[in-house]
Amino acid sequence: MAMLRLEDYEKIIEKCSQCSYCQSTCPSYINELSESFVAKNRLLLIKETLMHERMPYSSKAKEILDNCLLCTNCTQTCCSKIPIDDIIISARIKAGQKGAGGIKQFVMGKMLTQRGLTGVLGKAGSVAQKLGIAAKEIPQLASRPFDKMYSGTYTPEGEVKKRVAYFVGCGTNFIFPDTGEAVVKVLNHNGMEVVIPQGQVCCGIPALGEGDLEGARNMVETNINLLAGLDVDAIVTDCTSCGMMFKEKAAKCLPDDDPLQEKITAVTSKIWEVTDFLQNQGLNMPPGQLDITWSYHVPCHRGWSPTVKDAPRQLLSQIPNAQLKEFDNPEQCCGGAGTFFMEHRDVAEQIRSNRLEEIQNTKSDVVLTQCPVCRFYIGFKVTDREVTHPIKILARAYGF
Amino acid sequence: MQGLVKDLSAFLGPSQILSLPEEMLAYANDATHYFKSRIPDAVVLPHTTEEVSKVMKYAFAKEIPVTPRGAGSGLAGGCTPVHGGIVMDLKRLNKILEIDKSNMTAIVEAGVVLKRFQDILEKRQLFYPPDPQSASVCTIGGNVATRAGGPRGVKYGTTGNYVTGMEVVLPDGSVITPGGKFVKQSVGYDITHLMTGSEGTLGVITAVNLRILPLPEANRTVVVVCETLEQAAEIVAEIIARGAVPAMIEFLIKLAITIMNQYFFPPLPTDGEGYLFMYFDGTEAQVEYEAKLVSDICHDMKAKEVRLIEDQKVAETYWIARANVYPLIQTIFERGNAEDITVPRNKLPDLVRAVQAIAAAEGVMIGLAGHAGDGNMHPSILFPQVTSEAEAKAKIAIDKLIRAGLDLGGTISGEHGIGIHKAEYLSWELGQTQIELMKRIKYAFDPKGIMNPGKIWMEDGDGNA
Ligand SMILES: Cc1cc2nc3c(=O)[nH]c(=O)nc-3n(C[C@H](O)[C@H](O)[C@H](O)COP(=O)(O)OP(=O)(O)OC[C@H]3O[C@@H](n4cnc5c(N)ncnc54)[C@H](O)[C@@H]3O)c2cc1C
Repeated sequence: MAMLRLEDYEKIIEKCSQCSYCQSTCPSYINELSESFVAKNRLLLIKETLMHERMPYSSKAKEILDNCLLCTNCTQTCCSKIPIDDIIISARIKAGQKGAGGIKQFVMGKMLTQRGLTGVLGKAGSVAQKLGIAAKEIPQLASRPFDKMYSGTYTPEGEVKKRVAYFVGCGTNFIFPDTGEAVVKVLNHNGMEVVIPQGQVCCGIPALGEGDLEGARNMVETNINLLAGLDVDAIVTDCTSCGMMFKEKAAKCLPDDDPLQEKITAVTSKIWEVTDFLQNQGLNMPPGQLDITWSYHVPCHRGWSPTVKDAPRQLLSQIPNAQLKEFDNPEQCCGGAGTFFMEHRDVAEQIRSNRLEEIQNTKSDVVLTQCPVCRFYIGFKVTDREVTHPIKILARAYGF
Repeated sequence: MQGLVKDLSAFLGPSQILSLPEEMLAYANDATHYFKSRIPDAVVLPHTTEEVSKVMKYAFAKEIPVTPRGAGSGLAGGCTPVHGGIVMDLKRLNKILEIDKSNMTAIVEAGVVLKRFQDILEKRQLFYPPDPQSASVCTIGGNVATRAGGPRGVKYGTTGNYVTGMEVVLPDGSVITPGGKFVKQSVGYDITHLMTGSEGTLGVITAVNLRILPLPEANRTVVVVCETLEQAAEIVAEIIARGAVPAMIEFLIKLAITIMNQYFFPPLPTDGEGYLFMYFDGTEAQVEYEAKLVSDICHDMKAKEVRLIEDQKVAETYWIARANVYPLIQTIFERGNAEDITVPRNKLPDLVRAVQAIAAAEGVMIGLAGHAGDGNMHPSILFPQVTSEAEAKAKIAIDKLIRAGLDLGGTISGEHGIGIHKAEYLSWELGQTQIELMKRIKYAFDPKGIMNPGKIWMEDGDGNA
């Protein structure tokens, strides 16, 4: 674990042999088919501009770095094990420190002080206004956020098998509280006591993606202090990006010798994506029959758990009659990528339209994904069927 | 280059021309990044043959160098624009124009990524065997231009064996279509196969006619652990001599296995020195027979362990790991430069001994992996640290490796091509008369010398690399 300081990557960046394998999975490259927009070029560019300052950090350089969705596909593909996304984040942090980012100021001003998503949506609103995007292309807030409906401890009937904390991501809290309800009910039904601590804030990944280390660190501190104090066996999230933030990025927001590191280790060792957790624990209660076919859009932020991408497949295979219809490329990015789709509308839409082709060609009753942004961004266009979180299907099979 | 972008804008859209250094850094070289590289003056991204032709006509008139580029995954520096000028990126020519099952042929544009083509064929129970390990990114155009091969070479040959025709834009912009959809032809010089392996020095390949095969119904993976490298090489020679026809025989050393083991559960034992990954395909009965025959040979020759991988999913992990060996090496070394020596199969044990002797004598680390089944080995100098002293030692070792391969009746390149990487050794293999003949052929295609200049042979007074 190294802190996200660009200087610390000087050696590892040299490991890039330019084998080009990153071209096989980078959504911005696959969309553009130009080697300008692929990890290989971004690493060279970072080296020349922000790292060794042999070239100025020009508006073109910024554009090329900003066009990265931070989907982490290149990092997962890179056999030379270069933490490409961390290097790009570090570069954005450094660029921000040099005063390059207006967005950063915005994030600093808004996201820090609020729970997170309200800030993001505020930004979305202003960006939308500028670009003339229809308001409906921005996620609509739920009438009541999840945290206004659920907080405290939810105890199952009968024997308590495990006690778990539920970290509620912004996507579930503000846009899809239905996911949260399903999480609580399914966990309870399987003998898990669910603790939803009050005072949770955004996990920090959107801030980090913008190069706002300070903002991300503040959120990490708040969440870690809150979660570390709980007497629980596990901490679940329904969002793969929140999971990644805890598991892979939180510790990198602070110096290695920061006293909070110990708590971070303790918390992150307990973090699970909810379907991954249930699959790992085994279902206590057999789900009932559901006559549906479903397809699975695997979220990009899956690299932090070796089992997270197969968990929904295995879990839902236990529902009698529910049948998985695999996409040809289940791991292809949809272009949403956190807040990326708001600022890079054209690129995101092109990436999405490539993705939609396959979704439309695969006839299934529901499309499932654990990422709220994918759910929203795909769901906005796929209106002939439900796009939802896998936990909701399990909840349905239990009759909730 | 003054006015270049403006001129190109006359026939290409703004998103088809790159000219800022920030957007062209990756275009300065291929996967041999440690060789001479240069940022081009402009990159063009044509969508059609017509656009390719327009660029060539323009470049021809202005005498501007043009370097065709596929994925840039080459291991010979072939698409490195050593003289600057225009890099022609062909990845947007990416349509699969035809898959004709009744004729067992296909027509694909040059920029089609190999794996995408293979995946689409597989769904239709069809099969295109050439399998450079970079399949997930490399283009068919790049494969044809380098005559690329891979593990399946032992049974199925390499790219050249599947090309029956193509569309080519010549340096002056004219378009020709040598060969065709037919599987044989005897009409004058075989331009199709002259273009195949020409490394972008004769013209731009824009589309290719390919032969395809029915997908074999069954396959089997066998992993063999050997006491020594020689033993592994001797087993390969014996398998070939006894007439067995595995679809792949890959040779690996312990060092590679220790890195690859992260893919395998249970991991492979690391008490061997040499390892063979083998693959058999065909009908169920054939596969059964071949796997048994080869396993018996391995046992007869006292292999330490012969592991039959029954589970398809598990078997796949071995082949994924194999495809990733080269970049995996980068995790522990600062650099690995791969040679491409190919020898007659019965000389493999001699080659293995020669490699070990050279490593010991020169004090360098030489990794050894390769498509042993077709005699193609990639001895790689591994640099724990890149220093000028290490580079000097490596140079001596590479000279000796190349010489050893040639002395065994082999060739300096089985599949990667010459580019700038091996230009200095060309005369060792071909001699001056052949090189002069090649130059005259080049002149006939490219009288102004604009097509990927500085490749294959040494330029006068310039070491290229
Ligand atoms: C990790 C790794 C593993 C590899 N494994 C193998 C292997 O097993 N077997 C193997 O053979 N190779 C292998 N290679 C090398 C490389 O992938 C192949 O040479 C491949 O064929 C190159 O394709 P490309 O599209 O990347 O071409 P590029 O590297 O872009 O170009 C290669 C050459 O072809 C020319 N060229 C490209 N497209 C055209 C065109 N349309 N018309 C005319 N000329 C053109 C270029 O000018 C250049 O000279 C490997 C490379 C890597 C990085």
